[in-house]
Order: sequence, then C-alpha cells, then structure tokens
Amino acid sequence: MTTDLTTWHPIASSTDLPMRHIYHGQLWGREMAVWRADDGHVNVWENRCLHRGVRLTVGLNEGRELRCLYHGWRYANRTAGCTYIPAHPADAPARTICNNTYSAVESHGLVWSAVDPIGEFEAPAVLNGNDVLALRPIPVKAAPDIALKHAKSYRFSPIGEGCADVTLVEETDNHVQLHAKQDQSKATLLLFVQPVDAGRSILRGVLTDQPADAGNILRHHNRRMQALRDVIEAEATMLPVPEPIEVQFSKVDEELAKMPARAKSGPKAELRVSVAHKWDASEGVAGFRLEALNGQLPTFQPGAHIDLHMPNGMSRQYSLTNAPGETDFYRIGVKREPDSRGGSECMHNAVQAGDVLAISAPRNNFPLRRDALKTILVAGGIGITPMLAMAQTLHVQGLGYELHYFAQSEAHLSFPDVLKTFGSNLIPHIGLDPASTGGALKELLSGYDYAHHLYICGPGPMLEATRKIAAEAGWPEDAVHFEYFKNTKEIDDSSTFEVALARSALTLQVPAGRTILEILQENGIEAPSSCEQGACGTCLTTVIEGEPDHQDVYLSDSEKASNQKIITCVSRAKSKRLVLDI
Amino acid sequence: MKLYDYELSGNCFKIRLFLNILGIEYESQTVDFYPGLEHKSPEFLQLNPLGQLPVIEDEGKVLRDAQAILTYLAVKYDASGLWYPVSDPGRLGEVAQWLAFADGITGTASAARLHDGLFYELDVEAARAGAHRLFRILDEHLWFAERVGRDWLVPGDHPTIADIACFPYVALSEEGGIYRQGYPAIRRWCDRVKRIQGFVGMSGIFTTSHAA
Repeated sequence: MTTDLTTWHPIASSTDLPMRHIYHGQLWGREMAVWRADDGHVNVWENRCLHRGVRLTVGLNEGRELRCLYHGWRYANRTAGCTYIPAHPADAPARTICNNTYSAVESHGLVWSAVDPIGEFEAPAVLNGNDVLALRPIPVKAAPDIALKHAKSYRFSPIGEGCADVTLVEETDNHVQLHAKQDQSKATLLLFVQPVDAGRSILRGVLTDQPADAGNILRHHNRRMQALRDVIEAEATMLPVPEPIEVQFSKVDEELAKMPARAKSGPKAELRVSVAHKWDASEGVAGFRLEALNGQLPTFQPGAHIDLHMPNGMSRQYSLTNAPGETDFYRIGVKREPDSRGGSECMHNAVQAGDVLAISAPRNNFPLRRDALKTILVAGGIGITPMLAMAQTLHVQGLGYELHYFAQSEAHLSFPDVLKTFGSNLIPHIGLDPASTGGALKELLSGYDYAHHLYICGPGPMLEATRKIAAEAGWPEDAVHFEYFKNTKEIDDSSTFEVALARSALTLQVPAGRTILEILQENGIEAPSSCEQGACGTCLTTVIEGEPDHQDVYLSDSEKASNQKIITCVSRAKSKRLVLDI
Repeated sequence: MKLYDYELSGNCFKIRLFLNILGIEYESQTVDFYPGLEHKSPEFLQLNPLGQLPVIEDEGKVLRDAQAILTYLAVKYDASGLWYPVSDPGRLGEVAQWLAFADGITGTASAARLHDGLFYELDVEAARAGAHRLFRILDEHLWFAERVGRDWLVPGDHPTIADIACFPYVALSEEGGIYRQGYPAIRRWCDRVKRIQGFVGMSGIFTTSHAA
C-alpha cells in the first residue's frame, strides 16, 4: 500500500463512538481524536490541543464542547474553535484559535476520513442502499501492505461454520471485496486495511447485508480475522520493524493565545448565509435561522454578535442566540422597531426564507465568564438575545444562574422553546412599569457576594437603572457586564483636535463634524468597526497620551476615568492632542 | 478500618476506590513502599508474610490481597449484594474468574509500570507482551458484551468487584508503555467505570465527563 494521503479510509465504527466518549484513532501516523457531539455530529480532530500539545483523547467530551484536560481550554463541536480559556475567564478567545481538523463522514456503520482528500467522500458502490454490518475491527502489528496482501486470502463462511467457496471480486489500494458461497447461502464482505502507521494496521470488515444470525456471524469473523492477524503478524515479525511515520505539526503561534488578530476596516461582510427559516419568535420579534451557503460557519462564543448586511444596504448588529455546540447555523432575533430607520423593517418585511445575506464573522465584546459562583442575567425586551446564548451555556455546564427577563407581556417572551429549557432558572417579570422594574431589580440585586457576576442587556434607560442599582447594592464594577443595543446619547462632535498614531508614525487632524474612525479609515489606517455609534466596542483603541472625551456607552465608568481606552467612532478629545496605539 | 496504603499503588487504589464507592470511613496508614521498601520490613512481614500491599485491619481482622479484601468488603458492607452476587452461582463464578484475571494484569501491566516508574529490574518486554495478550482478551470480551447492551465484565445491570479489580492497572498501563489505542472497547469501559457513583481517581487516572 503506497502512502496516498488523499484516499478515504474507514477509521472507526459508528459503534465506537457512544455519547460523551473520545475515540483514539490514527491514519498514516496522524493521531485523531474522534468524538460524537450530543447532536450526533462526528468530529475528527488532530489529537493535540493546540495550546500545549496534550492529547485530546485524554480530554473530556462534554457533549457540545471538548475540554482539554490540561488547562481546560474548550473547543466547539464542528468548528473546533476555542470557546473558553479558564486562565482568561473575562476574555473572548480569538476566533483564530482553532484546533486542526480532518475530514469526517459517517456512513454505512463506519466513520471515514482522509488526511488530505481530493473531492467528496464516495462509499464503495456495493455498500450503497444496503443494510450493512460492520464487523469487530482487528488491530494488527504489521505494515499495511503486508496486511493487504494477506487480506485476499481471508476465508469465511456465510453461515458461520463449515467451508465456503470464497472468490476475490475486487482488489483496490485499501480493501478487497470477497464473495463467499456455501450451498444456498452467500455473503459479500469488504475487508479494509486501515493504514494506522508504517508498522500498524487495522482490519475492518463490512458485510454488505445483515445476516440472520448477526451475533453468531460476528463471532465467526472475529475468530477468522484474529487467525488472519496471527498469520500477518507472523510474517511481520520476520521483517525489520519500520520507523513510525514522522508527522509534521504546525507550530503554535505564540501570539495566538494572547491577542485577537487585528481586523480590517469597517463593518465586515465576509460570509454569505441563506435564511433557512424565518418565524415569529414572539410578539414583534422575528426569528431567523441562518445557514452557511458552503463550508462551516465560524466559531462563536456566548455574547457574540454578527454584523448583518441587508438588501437595502444597511448594516445592523445582532446577537447570536445559539447554545454551545449548535454550530451548523446562527439564530438571531430581530425586533420590529416602531421608529425603525429601515433596518428592522427590512428584516421583517423584505427578507424571506431562501434569501441570501452577507454577514460578518461573530465578534464577542460581551464575553461570559464560566468561573462565577453565581451568574445573574438580566434581559429587557429584545436584550434577551445574548442572554439566551449565555443561559444555555451555563445551563448545560451545570453552573448556577438566574435569568431575569423583563417583558411587556407573556406574548412578548421571545424564543419560548429555548426559554422552557431553563426551568426554574428563568424568572419572567411581566408588564412592569419603570418604578416596579426598579423595585424588582433592587430585590434581585440585593445579595451580592464574592464571585457573583451580573450581565445586563436591554434598552438604555433600563441598563442605566440596573447599573446604578447594582452599584448601590455593592456590586463592584468588574462584576457588572453590559451591552447596549445602541447609543442614545446626543453626540457632541463640535471639538477639533489632533490624533498622533504612535505605531503608524502619522499625525492627523480631526475637524468638527468628523469622527476619529472616519479620519483613520480615510487615511488608509486599518480600523475595524461595527455599530459606529459607540455601543459595540469593536473600534476600541488604546490611548497612550491625552484626555479622551468619552461619548460611548461601551466603556465602564472606571475605564472611562482611566483614560486608557477610547471608542473611536464617537468619542473625541478634551486635550488638544491624543496619542493612540495604532 | 485501617488500610496499609501507598499512594501510587494500583492495588491500594482498588481498595480506596471501593471504600469510597461504599461510603466507608477508613484510616490510611502510609507504607513507604518506594524507596523505603517498608513493605519488606520485619514489622510489615508480621502483618503480611508475602511483603505486599494492600493490607487491611478491620475490627481486629487482618486481611491481605486486593482481590480478597474486595470480596470481604463487598460481603460485609454492601447490603445490596450487587457488587458480589453470592446468591447467583453463575455470576459469582464469573466474578471469581475476573478476579483471577486481575492478578494476571497485576503480574504483567503493573510489573511493566514498576519497571518504568520505580526502576524494578525485570523483563519489561515480556511483561508488556503478556499485558497485550490479556488486553486483547479483555477488549474482545467487552466488545461482545456491548453488542448485547452489557456495560460490565459480568452479566447484569450493575458493576461487580470484578470491574474494580481489573480497572486500575488497565487504566495505569500507559505508565508501563502499554498503549490502549488498539483496545477501543477497553477505553469505553474505562469511561463507564469512571462514571460509577463514588468514583475517585489517583495519580495517572483522570476523571471523564458526565454522561449525556
């Protein structure tokens, strides 16, 4: 068997992958961590955590995420992207932190993979449409070509005993097809030789039809294949032991774990998705299920949002409501705004199932800690959307939380099918006026204790009120996390000042009526942005010198007071000059 | 109850694990197995003339041998009778069969680990080959058990002391250079043992995730 990395091989049986297990596979020297997520999806990943190289097969299959046992890094089903780093609980891991994966197809009772496939997987034609039976695989300490040579001489009976006529129907570079006939009985077997390493193989048999007495037939093949193994190993022991295949690992980028890559300028539209489903998620809220046109959607973390570009040319930010492990679609909720500037109206009226939209990859400016002793989530109205992702994460991980959902009426509770999974962790507050909302908030925020964390998303006035009540109730600022939908403050853009870009060695003038961000982008400086109204935090920039004039709703009060950060899409300078770390 | 104990011993771990599963309080008396060879001291030989761990003292009774101690604990302290089915001769016979198998695992997989970890002088290649012979039998047994929906070594819905006796040196085998990649059914059974209520680990034996 020549080393052909493009060929698909069976590398596991479907029955090797029960829920919450990690199978240890290998193909051409490449170790593979093979695991089935709770949604049934089979993942085939390189068997090393990209952080410190520890085998993922000693890690934990938690159903939606795989957790490395060494430092607890978590990786998402399907994407293999990192979703959480316990040593940086308050930060969102960069999207570029992603384990290496291999192609995987589950078909005919087997899991198939290839190191470097050309084209899509195609099962051998003789298997298609048949109710097949995968036999117990037999590992062999011998080179794949020796095993394949002997596979031709495998003899078996279709009824599990006695002598049959066995003929070789076909021989390929990774399997033989054998046909056995004994009186009126017959059976067809595909016997694959999985190249594990230079000196190791696995015999994997598949019968093209379920025999009447599967238990007996499985035992028959088990005996015969072990006898074949002994013959193959007897020959292999006469030969020199081949050196294991040397596998090149891509080196881990030192910067990878520390810093998200700098994004390019402006709101992004790098992905194309189709609207797979549009539905009424509640009174005035439309739910959208977005699916990739091709390939895999990027990894998201709870709290993440996407920029969505509408047919009318506008772009808006929407939080992802997905649970961890729900990696084959994005689900968002869009509220119909009575005073819509065109965004929500377009989504409600114009966009329909089947339409194609452009979106950005998810960005997370609202990351969820998973080390809190208790987490309180407070949602107002459509502010429920990021909270759904957070609550589902906490729920499946068994972490203590409460989800307080303030809504006008029962009919306004969005995504009821998701909400009902939270049980008594969900506490709806229905139809409260501002005064009683304040009262309810005072009560639920009264019990601050060490390592409690509060996350708030909702309309501006409610957010302001909640932050104020939390501060009065003794919540420290770093335990209070919030995300505004929009910045409703009146922006004063009358000042004129100078910005010096330390890394770019450039000095620019910002006149009245223009923003720092606009001036940067105009001068060819790469400056990512998203909402461009001081709410989302995408354009956050480090200030080296000078006093910013903060006009955003993203930074906390102490962050603003420290004058070390600035949101360049709305904030300006009180000093004559700002020096930015760009 | 007092357990003469050594932290890195898989045979002592069997007893710690089973005591924890049964919820029995005990006192651990550390024996300096390595490098002190305290288990070969005249004082210890009074307790166990074979000079081996573990040994327990329970209400004046002194008992040696991990498998013997598991049997004693099950009959005396497990009121449910599930861990050692004394009233079912067929299953009881199978338990005894796997207890003897566990001795075989100790003689091979544990020996290889003592060679690699604690510098014992022995034929490590022979020990590893012996372990692989046993693991092939164990994997085959467990694969066919799974086929009929059985999780444990002995038929029945509940694990027995046979699982406790065989588990530790299988789970520690890689410390002796015996890799379990070729034994997928053994790897799945190890996950199931780790999910038994009351499971505790030891150095080299890690926990697994919760069942779905």
